[in-house]
Amino acid sequence: MQLLLLCRETSWSDILCLGAERERDPVRNSVHAFLQMCNLPIKVVCRANAEYMSPSGKVPFIHVGNQVVSELGPIVQFVKAKGHSLSDGLDEVQKAEMKAYMELVNNMLLTAELYLQWCDEATVGEITHARYGSPYPWPLNHILAYQKQWEVKRKMKAIGWGKKTLDQVLEDVDQCCQALSQRLGTQLYFFNKQPTELDALVFGHLYTILTTQLTNDELSEKVKNYSNLLAFCRRIEQHYFEDRGKGRLS
Amino acid sequence: MAAPLELSCWGGGWGLPSVHSESLVVMAYAKFSGAPLKVNVIDNTWRGSRGDVPILTTEDNIVSQPAKILNFLRKQKYNADYELSAKQGADTLAYIALLEEKLLPAVLHTFWVESDNYFTVTKPWFASQIPFPLSLILPGRMSRGALNRILLTRGQPPLYHLREVEAQIYRDAKECLNLLSNRLGTSQFFFGNTPSTLDAYVFGFLAPLYKVRFPKIQLQEHLKQLSNLCRFCDDILSSYFRISLGAFSCVNRYQQQIDFGEVHSHDSTTRKLIASEWRHLSSWTRYGRCKSAETHTTCK
Repeated sequence: MQLLLLCRETSWSDILCLGAERERDPVRNSVHAFLQMCNLPIKVVCRANAEYMSPSGKVPFIHVGNQVVSELGPIVQFVKAKGHSLSDGLDEVQKAEMKAYMELVNNMLLTAELYLQWCDEATVGEITHARYGSPYPWPLNHILAYQKQWEVKRKMKAIGWGKKTLDQVLEDVDQCCQALSQRLGTQLYFFNKQPTELDALVFGHLYTILTTQLTNDELSEKVKNYSNLLAFCRRIEQHYFEDRGKGRLS
Repeated sequence: MAAPLELSCWGGGWGLPSVHSESLVVMAYAKFSGAPLKVNVIDNTWRGSRGDVPILTTEDNIVSQPAKILNFLRKQKYNADYELSAKQGADTLAYIALLEEKLLPAVLHTFWVESDNYFTVTKPWFASQIPFPLSLILPGRMSRGALNRILLTRGQPPLYHLREVEAQIYRDAKECLNLLSNRLGTSQFFFGNTPSTLDAYVFGFLAPLYKVRFPKIQLQEHLKQLSNLCRFCDDILSSYFRISLGAFSCVNRYQQQIDFGEVHSHDSTTRKLIASEWRHLSSWTRYGRCKSAETHTTCK
C-alpha cells in the first residue's frame, strides 16, 4: 500500500525560483526523511488546499488507504502501530534521551525559525509575507499574512520570547546546535549505527536552515560552524534521498 | 564575590522554601553552586516588583528569568556544572526543554487553571502574600497568563476543546515524569553524586507538585508512585534546605510556613521573620516561640 505525503503548494513563481518546495518546510523534510528511513514506499504530492485536507490543519500529512495522519509525532506512532519502528532497539534511558532531544529541537530550533520568519521585520517584509500569501488573491494574501504574523507574535510573547532580540535568538540557536553537535560527536547517527526519528527531525530542521534563502545568512552560518552536523546532513541526504533518485544540490 | 546578590521571589509553604517553580529553581541552583544569595520574599509592602519574579539584583544589574539568572551566576563563577562533560551539558539542555514542553503546561494547569485548585489553594495563598488591592488583580492575571500559555502552545487543532487539551497535557506530563524517573534510576542526582543545573530544574518543577496540598491531585498521585523522584525531592530538601527542629519557623494564616535563609522584609530589619499571626503546631511546641532568622549559608 502506498503512502501519500501531502504538502502545500505555493505559487508558480516560487517553484521556479527555488527549484523545489522541499527546502522550506522543516516538518515536511523531517517527515519525509523519517519515512525514507523506514523504507516505506511514498509518493509526494503538492496541493494548494493541503492544509484544509489535513486533520489538524497542518502540513505535511500522510494519506494511507483511508487513514490520514498529520505531524511528525502522530505519524511516528502510526507507522509504529503498523510495525515499522526506528527506535525499538533503544533502552529506556536512551528513549528518554531521544524524546528530550526532540523537545530541544522543537523548543529552540522550531521557535527560532518561526521567530526569524515572522518577528524579524526585514525577513517578514521581504520574504515571508509574499511567500505566505502567494496562493491567494489580493486582498486575502495580505490579510492572511498579517493574521498569521499576529498569531505568531502572540505565541512568542506567551512563551517569553517576545522581548528577545535577533542576537539572543541566534545565540540560542548556537547553543542548541552546540548541544546537538556534542551529542552526535563522531557517531554516524545520534544513537550510533541506526537512524531514529531524532535523526529525521534534526535533519529536517538543519536541512531547511541550510537551504532556505533568507535576508541574512547568520542562521545558516551558525549551523555551518559545526562540521559534524554538516556531515550528518549530507550523509542523510546522500543515503536516503539521492540514492533513491531524488538528489539535489546541498 | 563582593557585590551582594539579592533575589526577589515568592515565599514558601508546605515545607518548601518557595512555592513558585521558577523561584525554587534559582534558589536550588544557588545552594548547589554555593552562591551567597540574599532572599527577599515578596511580602505585604509595596516595595519591589512582583511582575517578573524571580529577579536577581546586584549593584549594577537586574536579571530576570531563571535561565538568564543561572547564566549570570555561572559568569560570576558560581557554576554547578563544573564537573559535567560536554555530552552531559548537552543532555541538560535537552532535558530542560523536555520539562518546559511536556511538564510545565500540566503544572501550570494544576496550579492556575484547574478551578478547584486555583480557588481553594493557589489564589488565596498568592493573594495573602501581596498587599490589597494588588491581591485582587495579580492572581487573576497570573491565572490568565497560564491559560493563555497552555492554549497558545498546546491548543492547536485538532484539540479544539479545553477538555481535550487538558487530557493531552496530563498524558504528556505523566509520560515526562516516567521518563525522568527512568533516567534518574537509583542515582542520587541526575549526573553522578553532585547536583547540577538539571537537578535544580527538576527539583523546581517537581517539588511544588509533590508537596502542595491540592483538592484535584491526579498528577500528584502519579508523581507519588514514582518513588525515586519523591526521594530525590526529599533528599534535596533535607540536605540543602534543612528543615531541622532547631531552625526558625513562622506561620501565616493558611498553613505552616517555614522560611529558609536570611529573610528580610523590605521595610524594616527589625521585622525579621516576625509574622503578624502564628500558631503553635504540635511538631513545633518544643520551640514555641518565633526566633529571628539565623543566617543560612550554603551547606557545602
